[in-house]
Amino acid sequence: MGLISGMLMGIVFGIALMAGWQHMMRYRSNKRIAKAVDIKSLSSLNRDDLKKICGENFPEWISFPVFEQVKWLNKQLSKLWPFVADAAEAIIKDSVEPLLEEYRPPGITSMKFSKLSLGTVAPKIEGIRVQSLKKGQITMDIDLRWGGDPSIILAIEAALVASIPIQLKDLKVFTVVRAIFQLAEEIPCISAVVVALLAEPKPRIDYTLKAIGGSLTAIPGLSDMIDVSFDTFFSLVKLYAMLFGLTVFLYKDTVTSIITDMLQWPHRIVVPIGGIPVDTSELELKPQGKIKITVLRANNLKNKELIGKSDPYAVVYIRPLFKVKTKVIENNLNPVWNQTFELIAEDKETQSLIIEVFDQDVGQDERLGIAKLPLIELEAGNSKEIELRLLPSLDMLKIKDKKDRGTLTIQVFYRQFNEEEQLAALEEEKRILEERKKLKEAGVIGSTMDALDGAASLVGSGVGMVGTGIGAGVGVVGSGLGAFGSGLSKAGKFMGRTITGQSNASKRSGSSTPVNSVQENGGAKPL
Amino acid sequence: MGFFSTILGFCGFGAGISTGLVIGYYLFIYFQPSDVKDPVIRPLAEQDSQSLQQLLPEIPPWVKNPDYDRIDWLNKFLELMWPYLDKAICKTAKNIAKPIIAEQIPKYKIESVEFEELTLGSLPPTFQGMKVFTTEEKELIMEPSLKWAGNPNVTLGVKAFGLKATVQVVDLQIFAQPRITLKPLVPSFPCFAKIFVSLMEKPHVDFGLKLVGADLMSIPGLYRFVQELIKDQVANMYLWPKTLEVEILDPAKAMKKPVGILHVKVIRAMKLRKKDLLGASDPYVKLKITESKAPSKKTTVKHKNLNPEWNEEFSIAIKDPESQALELIVYDWEQVGKHDKMGMNVVPLKELTPDEPNVMTLDLLKNLDKNDSQDDKFRGQLVVELTYKPFKEDDMSKDLDNPLQKAPEGTPPGGGVLVVIVHEAQDVEGKHHTNPYVRVIFKGEERKTKHIKKNRDPRWEEEFTFVLEEPPLKENLRVEVLSTSTRIGLLHPKETLGYVNINLADVVNNKRINEKYHLIDSKNGMIQIELQWRTSS
Repeated sequence: MGLISGMLMGIVFGIALMAGWQHMMRYRSNKRIAKAVDIKSLSSLNRDDLKKICGENFPEWISFPVFEQVKWLNKQLSKLWPFVADAAEAIIKDSVEPLLEEYRPPGITSMKFSKLSLGTVAPKIEGIRVQSLKKGQITMDIDLRWGGDPSIILAIEAALVASIPIQLKDLKVFTVVRAIFQLAEEIPCISAVVVALLAEPKPRIDYTLKAIGGSLTAIPGLSDMIDVSFDTFFSLVKLYAMLFGLTVFLYKDTVTSIITDMLQWPHRIVVPIGGIPVDTSELELKPQGKIKITVLRANNLKNKELIGKSDPYAVVYIRPLFKVKTKVIENNLNPVWNQTFELIAEDKETQSLIIEVFDQDVGQDERLGIAKLPLIELEAGNSKEIELRLLPSLDMLKIKDKKDRGTLTIQVFYRQFNEEEQLAALEEEKRILEERKKLKEAGVIGSTMDALDGAASLVGSGVGMVGTGIGAGVGVVGSGLGAFGSGLSKAGKFMGRTITGQSNASKRSGSSTPVNSVQENGGAKPL
Repeated sequence: MGFFSTILGFCGFGAGISTGLVIGYYLFIYFQPSDVKDPVIRPLAEQDSQSLQQLLPEIPPWVKNPDYDRIDWLNKFLELMWPYLDKAICKTAKNIAKPIIAEQIPKYKIESVEFEELTLGSLPPTFQGMKVFTTEEKELIMEPSLKWAGNPNVTLGVKAFGLKATVQVVDLQIFAQPRITLKPLVPSFPCFAKIFVSLMEKPHVDFGLKLVGADLMSIPGLYRFVQELIKDQVANMYLWPKTLEVEILDPAKAMKKPVGILHVKVIRAMKLRKKDLLGASDPYVKLKITESKAPSKKTTVKHKNLNPEWNEEFSIAIKDPESQALELIVYDWEQVGKHDKMGMNVVPLKELTPDEPNVMTLDLLKNLDKNDSQDDKFRGQLVVELTYKPFKEDDMSKDLDNPLQKAPEGTPPGGGVLVVIVHEAQDVEGKHHTNPYVRVIFKGEERKTKHIKKNRDPRWEEEFTFVLEEPPLKENLRVEVLSTSTRIGLLHPKETLGYVNINLADVVNNKRINEKYHLIDSKNGMIQIELQWRTSS
């Protein structure tokens, strides 16, 4: 009796104990999950959530801008900046000087940074925005502003010429950097980073370029130029080309278009991150489609000539490196060109077709107007006639008058590539750039994307710019001796003068192909 | 009878309770699902005020405190990256654990231990705010508030003696407030040499540990005990001021600290060429180390002497003897105008035998360009004695560990060395020009930094030492920021941008003070001065 009742009681007690335990388990598990849920839902609050939680006592130090502010990051950055600057200076010096050395033309004994200081002002991050536009990718937009005081002096010494220091200062960079991280399932979880500058708002890069001291007129033997043998002559040409290249190097037209072509969204730099073999080709920008554009006519153009009427021609491009030009129709304010070109589009969503109309002139060609057609407005496979109003500038802030500048009529046809055509187009593009590179002399870093890619990925955009400069400089050589003559005549003028390049400046010279544009820059008056 | 029945009753209870526990286990626990479900997260807007009330204790610090910054962008980044991170971490953890398990199990007669499940769950850690602190030292301090209330599922299957048991860790929750200090800051990427992590409060840890399906942590009392145990263990190791130190770079290399000292004795020059129109030249020698930011050193000027004898000694710190070289330039001193260069030469340091005096007679050249053949006139000779002394290894490490160095030998007893390091200034501005330099005046002794052209926020990083007989308990140090015009002109040649007097008694007591001082006679200028008092004891 005692045994049985004992057993029964034991069983009941045992079961009750287990039931109690199970109850505790549930209770604790639920509590933990509830907490996890709470924390998760608090991880990203927006204004409405917070209002609901705080009610009347909404804290006034909180705001929810599109670009989240990162005060703490800026604090740290400004503290870290002297060290970052030191480290970056050393890297730039180490990687750029050999580059300069490699592409140093004969006649110049040394090209060295006599001063390279990134200044005391740290870049400021105005805000950061993180989005996921595509699965497996994180898009991070960083609003970067740097009104820095870097001072970079490049000393060029030639055997026959006194040293010519060229100084870059007062650099201002305002841009939104877009970084896309391609995710991977292996540490460090990021297989590649794509870097580009967002097109909207337009990147602004300002700088001052100055030739300090030195004098070109001190070249011995300039007077008895006739006696100089051809070799020396050619090396002198190169020297000039170099000097002009370097001054031109931030001359907005060439350089900005190269920077734009290289970095401005949808153009990008792809940096694979170590360790993980990954196919980055998907991240690279590829030709997406072809645009057949017929520039039909323009109406009511403005007359810019004193005698007679303007001699208009149109320049059409999507990427500034691939420009096409119509013929010049003389003395006509309602020209009919009826010329057809084919252009390649890489990113229909964000790219635009730009058409500029110029008046051909003896000196610098004057712009009669510019028009923009976002490609997204085009339908694939449909031919469409569009009339565009010509504007003085694409930058709305710079348009002062509301004068009518006439209209331009074009016919556009957009066709999407299939895969084979895409590859073919890519090859074609490479070939064109290759040819151009050859023109700019073998082995020179030209304005081609590939070469710049290499340079830029080394140390960032700083190098890219210098590399570009040389490219532009030697480009002058490629374009012949014409630059030399005009170069000599301008030589005295530009020394000691400040050249301010402004990427947003709207004044520009007319140009058809990049090679030509470089040539014109070489001979053009510095701003 | 009664006695036996009680005994039997106890035995029965004993047997019954074990049977009951087994039955209860199968009834309530065994059939419970052991997989972890994703919790359902409702948007805040849909929740009623009562559940919102429950949220309040967990509200992030950035809402409550203005000195915390919101870092939702980082949370979002982490959230997007989490699935990938989860897989990557688990894969790595498995790979690391496998060999360790394989090595350990034979000792315990266990047949196999395997991960049946390993995932960190769908909930990423969140940062509930970030606070940064700024100090005058070369360091970055940040304090993120980290909360991870995840739903990981780690299930280990253990086989032993033909039986299989599972151990499962679920619902891990870790809340911590680590302080991350990056220091020292160094001028090479990633710009800091070490990471120090320490916890400002005891962390909150909670989890469920299921042994064959039964959660041990829900046994009343046990959880609390385990939690306290973990907290104490962690606190012992990492609670402030204890820190976890992770070295990123070798600070000695990263700092580019000097690795040796070059003693230069400028003995004499011979047969210098005459440069002055009237009388002989007034030569002096300027010494400089290439690729170094240190100011160059100069000998005294020997007036009207073409065969001057200086016999002056200098010591220069060397950072990289492989690439650096000593540059010696002989100048002709002038009362007015630019000093003429009389000749120069360069000695690469790798040509010197270390620790031995090398006497050299150098021909003076016009410049270093070997192609420049047009000018190989004889410009005279310079005799120098160079001794390069590399530091011993242990000297260097001692220096690094202890920022407060001892006074060098030869310091008078009771006295010491006062070290003044002029770091930087902010918002200094002159009326006419701002080319600031600092003048440090102590007991009539004056030291100057170099000029920095046109800069409102100059950085000097220069160090001056004063050797003293006794502690400067009653003395003041005067620090002046001055500016000189770059143009030669009579108008406003010199301007004071501000000054500050620093009482040195504090320095003697504290050994080291690094502070920003407001400049007097300046709008809102500040100067950062570090003072050290080094004694021999």
